Amino acid sequence: MYWVVPVPEGGLIISSDGKTATLEMKNIAVVDQPRWPVLDAVGMAAVMSFRMIWKATDEPVVYDDPLKQFRVEGFKAVSQLEAAVEVPSIGFSWKSDPLSESRANFAIIGEEVNGRYYSPRR
Amino acid sequence: MNPADHVRPYCTRRRFLGTTFGLACAASLMLSHDAAADDRQAQPKLRTYNGGTDPYPIPWLDKNGSHNQPAGPQLEPSHIYHFKGRVARCADFAGMGTDNKGNRIPFGTPTTDYGFMQGEYFAGRAPQRGTFTHI
Repeated sequence: MYWVVPVPEGGLIISSDGKTATLEMKNIAVVDQPRWPVLDAVGMAAVMSFRMIWKATDEPVVYDDPLKQFRVEGFKAVSQLEAAVEVPSIGFSWKSDPLSESRANFAIIGEEVNGRYYSPRR
Repeated sequence: MNPADHVRPYCTRRRFLGTTFGLACAASLMLSHDAAADDRQAQPKLRTYNGGTDPYPIPWLDKNGSHNQPAGPQLEPSHIYHFKGRVARCADFAGMGTDNKGNRIPFGTPTTDYGFMQGEYFAGRAPQRGTFTHI
């Protein structure tokens, strides 16, 4: 699948109450493609490492769409990220400020069912 | 081992289109009557063709084949179809960083989004388990 990669064992840690998650991956092979989504956009091999967290707020979230057959139940969240990238072919590297200095304006955490696991609620 | 065990499967409809078709069916023409009789008594080796165990993308996500949609209210966090499990999604990041020449470069746009999916998904006609991230 495009954009999706497996998380190695231990890369994702979720608290016992499911309200906090930490995702950390190192040296992921990615493609740096600045002109995406242009179809002929040139891509360069890059390496990325990152650590990010989600912390649930007290605001519940329920998305339920019988037409698209998915339901999400969870909470709005606070999410922060720190990352480092390297594009060897052009001698470029970049490292973010510490995780605490970033913010995401949208974040959720929870559970989802879709497709064959979805059944509409009455 | 009965040579027919090797020959017969190549003449099924599925194998008809395989690259081994020419060789296999040429071999079948050389079967003796006795070998054909043995073949009728032999149990065919069962094979499964259930597809791969990689997760299946959300079918209607986009027309460009990038299996991606923005993170946001009322949008599905998972990028995997036939899935149940834990998910998280985030987008619209804002932050700063420094490149290898000391330049301060901001990161984050409304489409700077990440997420994870951990749980059960259905692929290869069987439940699978996995943890994936959208980066």
